[in-house]
Amino acid sequence: MRSSDADGHVTGGGVRFLGQRPPYWRLLIRGAALLMVTLGIYRFWLATDVRRFLWSNTEIAGEALEYTGTALELLIGFLVAIAILIPVYTAIFLAALDLGILGKLSGVIGFVALGVLGQYAIYRARRYRLTRTIYRGLRFHQEGSAWAYAFRAVLWWIVTALSFGLAYPFQLASLERYKMRNTFYGDLAGAFDGSGIRLFVRGLPMWMLVFAPLALAVSGFIGIDWKAFAEAVAQGGDDAMGKIEGSNPGLGAVIVFAMLMGGVSVTLAAILYPAFQAMVLRWWSSGLCFGTIEVRSRLSTRRVYGAYARFVGYALLFSIALGIVGSVVLLAVAAVGGTARFGAPGEIAATFAALVGYVVSALGFSTIYRATVLLSLWQLGMESLQLSGLSALDKVKATGRPSSAVGEGLADALNVGSY
Amino acid sequence: MNSGAGIYFDGVTSARRDVIVALTPSGLQISDSDGHMREWPYNEIEGLAAPDSVLRLGRRGSTVLERLEIRDPALAAQIDALAVHVDRAGALQRRQRIRVVGWSVAATASLLLVAWFGVPAIAARLTPLLPAGIEGKLGEAVDMQIRGMLLAPKDGTTPDCGTSPPETAGRAALDKIVRRLEAAAGLPHPLRIDVVRRDAANAIALPGGHVYVFSGLIAKADNADEVAGVIAHEIGHVANRDGTKALLQGAGLSILFGMLLGDFVGGGAVVYGARTLLQSSYSRETETTADAYGAGLMNKAGGNTHAMATMLDKIGGATEPGMKILLDHPETKARVAAIRKLAGNQAPSAFLDASEWVDLKQICAGRP
Repeated sequence: MRSSDADGHVTGGGVRFLGQRPPYWRLLIRGAALLMVTLGIYRFWLATDVRRFLWSNTEIAGEALEYTGTALELLIGFLVAIAILIPVYTAIFLAALDLGILGKLSGVIGFVALGVLGQYAIYRARRYRLTRTIYRGLRFHQEGSAWAYAFRAVLWWIVTALSFGLAYPFQLASLERYKMRNTFYGDLAGAFDGSGIRLFVRGLPMWMLVFAPLALAVSGFIGIDWKAFAEAVAQGGDDAMGKIEGSNPGLGAVIVFAMLMGGVSVTLAAILYPAFQAMVLRWWSSGLCFGTIEVRSRLSTRRVYGAYARFVGYALLFSIALGIVGSVVLLAVAAVGGTARFGAPGEIAATFAALVGYVVSALGFSTIYRATVLLSLWQLGMESLQLSGLSALDKVKATGRPSSAVGEGLADALNVGSY
Repeated sequence: MNSGAGIYFDGVTSARRDVIVALTPSGLQISDSDGHMREWPYNEIEGLAAPDSVLRLGRRGSTVLERLEIRDPALAAQIDALAVHVDRAGALQRRQRIRVVGWSVAATASLLLVAWFGVPAIAARLTPLLPAGIEGKLGEAVDMQIRGMLLAPKDGTTPDCGTSPPETAGRAALDKIVRRLEAAAGLPHPLRIDVVRRDAANAIALPGGHVYVFSGLIAKADNADEVAGVIAHEIGHVANRDGTKALLQGAGLSILFGMLLGDFVGGGAVVYGARTLLQSSYSRETETTADAYGAGLMNKAGGNTHAMATMLDKIGGATEPGMKILLDHPETKARVAAIRKLAGNQAPSAFLDASEWVDLKQICAGRP
């Protein structure tokens, strides 16, 4: 028990995060080890532990949140989701075997169907999490239709893809408005007043920095004589490359330039990503409100970069450790296997070792990411909040009941879950 | 008895009340400034998720989310000691965790046992029950896929050998071998054996009984009996309906691993690795059985069974050491020895004469 918090509580408009890093690391590392031992079944317990830690260490106006979900609920939700998904997968598989138009379109149909189902799952999973969130003895809850949300979300994703991401701010604003106007704390209705245009204007410079190199790369191809190129390709033969080169002397240079610009674009995107994330998080938090309670965020971009820097540092250390252990194992295998290198047990052992190595590294990096970037984003996001109008908290009434965890299960089975 | 300060939420409104909590012999007595008094028996209290510095209590099984928070460490420790379902040290959670891990490990073990013994047993019993019509359809589907992916030559010409004039003599030689083996085997369905242009020294038998001999194998053979030996081995697969069996085994494993194990980071690799290992273990057994069948067939057809062993030695020996990982076939030396042991001691008569053998060698010579 930490005595510093034992004496009292903050009554201002502040949000505090009380969690310490070491217990969170312990929780995640133990979880990763048990995930491996139980072939993944432990993930329901790990997710529950993580949420319990994050929720109960987040203190709003002197009172900590409470997460009441259980791992068993998540497990049952997952089993229900499997029961729902097996017929869906079977139908998609059967459609693919169809010889007519259905078979040709089955890929697209399956993609869209699973996309809609994924968004449906996201909305219902949010409902589960909200109804398991208790604050001051009252439950949060969510209304609205998950199907309506899913169709809206899929349409927005299509628009965003067609606009090369330019519609993304409006998508976020629209979907967030739908979610928040259906979100309630007791009988206190939520709302979202973030403006898509404002996010668009702020994000436009970043978008241009990432897409300008790509536009330059594409413009390089405008001067190419495509007819001659196509003829050279169609002729083929042993010197096809020579003919293609002959049809367009500058083609090689254009391709090299395009690859270079692609690299520049990817690098810029990676460098700008934390700033983008901080900007969206700040904009999103500042748009939230419950009744007369309003939220303002002063999230510092610099500290988000700090979280990513810690991730890179830990990931490097972990890679070095993996490299050392890996080479020791390899040497040991070579020493033992040198005498009986064709033995079947040796092959099985080698495959097994490779598999374990892969799983350990994948779980390791994901654990480091959760303990650095995700925890910091939660903590920084929460601590940067400034709440006003908190007097409304004294007279909220209880409504809403707990919902099932099927949405969580679907999200898990479809791989669209978070936290 | 002891008492101290607490914060109380009644679960009906979000209003926060400062209360005095007294410990009586039967339970907690919660009294607020309005003079309201509430009794919480110790066995109806449960501990809830809270920061380390706070003991948060609720009523067990209640739909009303009443909450009592104690921030005084001494009082919290006393309540922890008195109430059964308040467990700040996490012993209850630890017990549940151990149960989860234990049963997961047991489930994994039983899954692996089913995969190791159950799936091949089910596939072996289901295969004979499958009507020939369905098996034929399955075979056609696999045939189309194999021809599309494995056998597709780069320039778009047909992969089949022995169909056009310079190669037809080779086809006649092949047919002579096949007829003799077929007569000896006496299978209910006619055999379909074709040679395709592939450089690998290999042959495959598909579900439904279609056998492809790769041109690389004929190139590597030194006489017709070596080719016949490999074909006899593949006829063994056809007779045992191994292609269909493998298909059913694959489907069984997909259901077992793909569905029951959900997704976690690196989980896909585990599923893939387990499937590959198990499938290669199934096929080890299948290959040994096909070897025995092939050797018996060569004896019956009056061929040179030792040639089958020589050919296998050649193919097995040529495999690069790095490629041996997950190789389907049991150790070549053991297989070769087993085949030699099965060889009869009759004087073998060659499958083809010298000129026919030259023809067979040319079966894929029509195109480079």
